[in-house]
Amino acid sequence: MEPADVVKNAFAMPLTSPSFARGPYRYINREYLIITYRTDRAALEEAVPEPLTFDEPLVRCEFMRMESSTGFGRYSGAAQDIPVRFNGQPGSYTHIRYLDVYAPISGGRELWGFPQKLAKPSLAVEHDTLVGALDYGPVQVAKGTMGYKHRSVADDAVLRTISEPRFLLKIIPHVDGKPRICELVRYFHRDIVLHGAWTGPCSLELHSHALAPLTDLPVREVVSGIHLITDFTLPHGEVVHDYLA
Amino acid sequence: MKADAVRQKAFSMPLHSPTYPPGPYRFIDREFMIITYRTDCAALERVVPKPLEIVDPVVKYEFIRMPDSTGFGDYTESGQVIPVRFAGEMGGYVHAMFLDDDPPIAGGRELWGFPKKLAFPSLRVERDTLLGTLDYGPTRVATGSMGYKHKPVAREAVLKALAEPGFLLKIIPHVDGTPRICELVRYRLGDVSLKGAWTGPAALELYPHALAPLTDLPVLEVISGVHLIADLTLSLGEVVHDYLAK
Repeated sequence: MEPADVVKNAFAMPLTSPSFARGPYRYINREYLIITYRTDRAALEEAVPEPLTFDEPLVRCEFMRMESSTGFGRYSGAAQDIPVRFNGQPGSYTHIRYLDVYAPISGGRELWGFPQKLAKPSLAVEHDTLVGALDYGPVQVAKGTMGYKHRSVADDAVLRTISEPRFLLKIIPHVDGKPRICELVRYFHRDIVLHGAWTGPCSLELHSHALAPLTDLPVREVVSGIHLITDFTLPHGEVVHDYLA
Repeated sequence: MKADAVRQKAFSMPLHSPTYPPGPYRFIDREFMIITYRTDCAALERVVPKPLEIVDPVVKYEFIRMPDSTGFGDYTESGQVIPVRFAGEMGGYVHAMFLDDDPPIAGGRELWGFPKKLAFPSLRVERDTLLGTLDYGPTRVATGSMGYKHKPVAREAVLKALAEPGFLLKIIPHVDGTPRICELVRYRLGDVSLKGAWTGPAALELYPHALAPLTDLPVLEVISGVHLIADLTLSLGEVVHDYLAK
């Protein structure tokens, strides 16, 4: 292959059969169980990178089901997101995320900087309960539960949260092991369609694991839970801070 | 966390629980079954990036067991390596690799540029046969087999092959989707301790799959098979060509 063709085709590895497609990345019927909990302020101060700041020491533990996503397929995820501020504006920072399919893991890491690892997340209705779980190998590290569609939640409040900017810390090393990319990235969900949002009684427990350290942001008190189903497009991001500059 | 601390700690995502640790990456009892086959010359020309040169229309199909790897754990890998020449030196261009373990996939891609995907390879002894398989989801995409330890292979030839450099095409996009890194990377295996090498009758079949297109380099004739066990260290790489340099 001629060098000019290498550059023309270069998007993702392997060159001739990229691990992830070029987008746009459209999600249909993406379903979330999000449990907001209070954690230790000192733990969050360690987790949230400057120049992001936070008001209350809150974490959103999210379990998600991606039923149909262009280029990425059908997969599930679990994450810890942190409500933050950037230049005074509210948003959320993804601290850690686990998925069960590699196309979105590699694409998420290499394109935007999603801090994603391979594990076994799930989100399912078990009779009267919406159950989110995360297993790392054979070890369960998170379980969230919520009464199924007990009360609907006002659309405008949910849409406001879904529309907030999202932040990631993209890190890619150079071949010599030194940091090559270390950037704060911002992205938005676009073309959002909200199919429904509900709340109800909820619970969350986290368990320790060396490589899935969710308990580094311990659960002190469950604040609220929300279940929502939405369509949206995940566009490319933009660099808002370069740590290597 | 202070911005300075972010910079100092930055190695791999997530910042606070990196998917892969810094090396050195030492492999103990790493076991290979390498089946060399002849393929279509035009197919190779479509996939080997210049300035690498194709010497013969040959592919090495590899099944590799890594039971004990520092930082990466216990995992298996399978894929295609193409013998090439760069700056007068013979080496192997890694065309596609499939693994069953996250840290070496993410670390391989992001640190060196190994073209790795998640799949389900295996290498095991089935009675009289050394059997390698690769499944992508529920679909079988490769089956290789060899008679188990039929004839020893001269150590010098194997050590010489293991001493050759490997070549990779590292591609990482920018957040806007444009190419950010597009480099030819060279790496080497070091501190090799060869524990044994054998040959015997060998067979290989590849099957089509949209996302694991091994049959793009079709098997026209099996040339040879080698089975070897070695300890070795995977060193960091060096950029030997930058495709984005103006």
